[in-house]
Amino acid sequence: MKNDQSSLINKIKPGVEKSNNKVFQPLRTWFGKYISRKTFIIIRKTFFDICSLKKLIITIIAMLFLPLIFIFMPTGIDFGLISSHHAATIIGIALLFPAFFWTLGIAYTSIIGTSGSHLIAEEVSSGTMLILVSKPISRIKIFLGKYLAVIFFGMLISFISIFTIGWSGVLIKSGNIDHFISLVPFLTALYLYSVFIVFLFTSITMAFSSIFKKSRTASMIVLILIIFSFLAFMIIRTLTGALYGTFQIYHFDLGYHLGNVFVLFIETLNAIPPSAAWLMFFGQITGVYSLTSTIDPDQGINLGGLDKTNYYLPIFSLLIWILIAALLLFFGIWSLKRREISV
Amino acid sequence: MTQKKLKINYEVWSERLTKIYGKGKEELEAVSKIDLRVEPGIHGFLGPNGAGKTTTYNMLVGAISITEGEAKIRELKAGSVAAKQLIGFLPQDPVFYEDMTGEGYLIYMGQLGGLQAKEARRKAQELLDYFDLFDAREREIGKYSGGMKQKIGIAAALIHEPKVLILDEPTANLDPLGRVDVIQKIKELSDKVSVFVSSHILSEIEQMCEDVTMINHGKIVVSDSIKKIKKSFVSNLYILDTDMNEKFLEILKNKDFISKARIEEIDGKIHIIPKDPAKLQKIIPEMLIENKATLLSFHQPELSLQDIFMEIMSKKEDDEK
Repeated sequence: MKNDQSSLINKIKPGVEKSNNKVFQPLRTWFGKYISRKTFIIIRKTFFDICSLKKLIITIIAMLFLPLIFIFMPTGIDFGLISSHHAATIIGIALLFPAFFWTLGIAYTSIIGTSGSHLIAEEVSSGTMLILVSKPISRIKIFLGKYLAVIFFGMLISFISIFTIGWSGVLIKSGNIDHFISLVPFLTALYLYSVFIVFLFTSITMAFSSIFKKSRTASMIVLILIIFSFLAFMIIRTLTGALYGTFQIYHFDLGYHLGNVFVLFIETLNAIPPSAAWLMFFGQITGVYSLTSTIDPDQGINLGGLDKTNYYLPIFSLLIWILIAALLLFFGIWSLKRREISV
Repeated sequence: MTQKKLKINYEVWSERLTKIYGKGKEELEAVSKIDLRVEPGIHGFLGPNGAGKTTTYNMLVGAISITEGEAKIRELKAGSVAAKQLIGFLPQDPVFYEDMTGEGYLIYMGQLGGLQAKEARRKAQELLDYFDLFDAREREIGKYSGGMKQKIGIAAALIHEPKVLILDEPTANLDPLGRVDVIQKIKELSDKVSVFVSSHILSEIEQMCEDVTMINHGKIVVSDSIKKIKKSFVSNLYILDTDMNEKFLEILKNKDFISKARIEEIDGKIHIIPKDPAKLQKIIPEMLIENKATLLSFHQPELSLQDIFMEIMSKKEDDEK
């Protein structure tokens, strides 16, 4: 009986391995082609170049600056009398604006943008890239090594920042660890959003770094994009009013799309229940919500309301910008492959 | 088949290798259809600044694209990862990660060359020792002198044990002592690895190489062994030195087989250009016996590579005119 079983296993095993190989072998070959030990060596070197302890501390302080101000604002609520879920909601709402606008907005994107912009451009202009490309390593691996280093750096600083603001919020507001546990879905939503942001902005900055001769040019373009996304379009949206929708300006408004994606993560993870306060904020800052006229038929008064503008479905905003980020990644690789490296 | 066999024997091989920068009116042909044949040993690549040496090297290491033609490193397409595994490259005026230590830099370069961390460390220490940099291994490269930087550059090129070392002006910006030191190291290395080295200082190349390729305006002017090149440029100048130089000059001036004869101010010897060298060689012993003079020296001076290069360049320019 035992022999029968083992012979059966032996008969099945090669087949199983074969089918596994069929699935995984091409994947392994593809992965090995672009990600190898040499890629990890580039990742490690680049990561420690952009992530010195001093820079890490300064970066985290910069990212926490605005949320900490909001955390210290008094709420007048006795956190001892409310449920954990309610407490987490109040802390979450207090952190929503600074987290979206500053920690994972202007501060985070600027740090990612400036960290990645010099990685290719400066190495080419200084001459260190000439030695690097003469080594037996493909340019794709060089690019991916640097790209992934920025991604890991971004994921690390966003993790520390999000964990710290969540923990600080709970400590300062209530000091109850249960409230932190209830805050986890909100923090998870923030982290998932930060992963999307780091993917998008690393692709943007590395693509520019691959094209431009001067890292300053690449940094400037990323910073202009950030200013437009978080500040300029906010003004344009207010000034244009209904024309914003009529002329479909939202197609070019990255701030709107980022807001849309942020709301998608918050809603999907049930991080914070909808409330007028944060819907209004997202309406003003990103244009994801807008005030609608709802006339009460009995009393004939305008009750108002906040509805999604739905210029784009949030999932479409997410997919479009993931696609753009992927295209920029390929474009960055392509331009480095074609680039003439000489001093 | 013959061509294939030829390629195998060469460390570096190219056929009609061309690099054109720009387009239209701004088009610049930096390297024009050059055929390189670099054999094992040390091969010099000579040419004035802007001749196309660096552009050629950059094409060979895959830093810039090849506009036309092809190049190979031991059968493998130049610029491919496999070909780069066979070469070690030191660019002209190399730039390093200044904040890295000498040892850290070599380990990093070794790992990019395919070595395991342990092996890279062992090799790095071996090379640091060989290049007399072991005591400075923990110092940042930014604090190294020019000579030390050049040595760490050569060490970085060598760390993954390449078969061909491509060195672009390795002695540029070095003081005389540093130059001697680097040249000595290159000579020693040539026992283990082929070296394709460029310089615009011809005397250095003459010290190091057996074979040279001369390039000017992106085109190969001559490519052969130094001995053969020198043979083909034998001078028609003879230098005679006796204890009666002035008397001998008078006698020689009156001979019909002498084209020019004069006493050179610098060495005080008689510089003679004969129409018939055989007759000159025959008459000198007779004159010495007749005048009871003492012969101090009589020889044909060997032309330096510098002289030959200058002669070739001036000939080329005359031809172009």
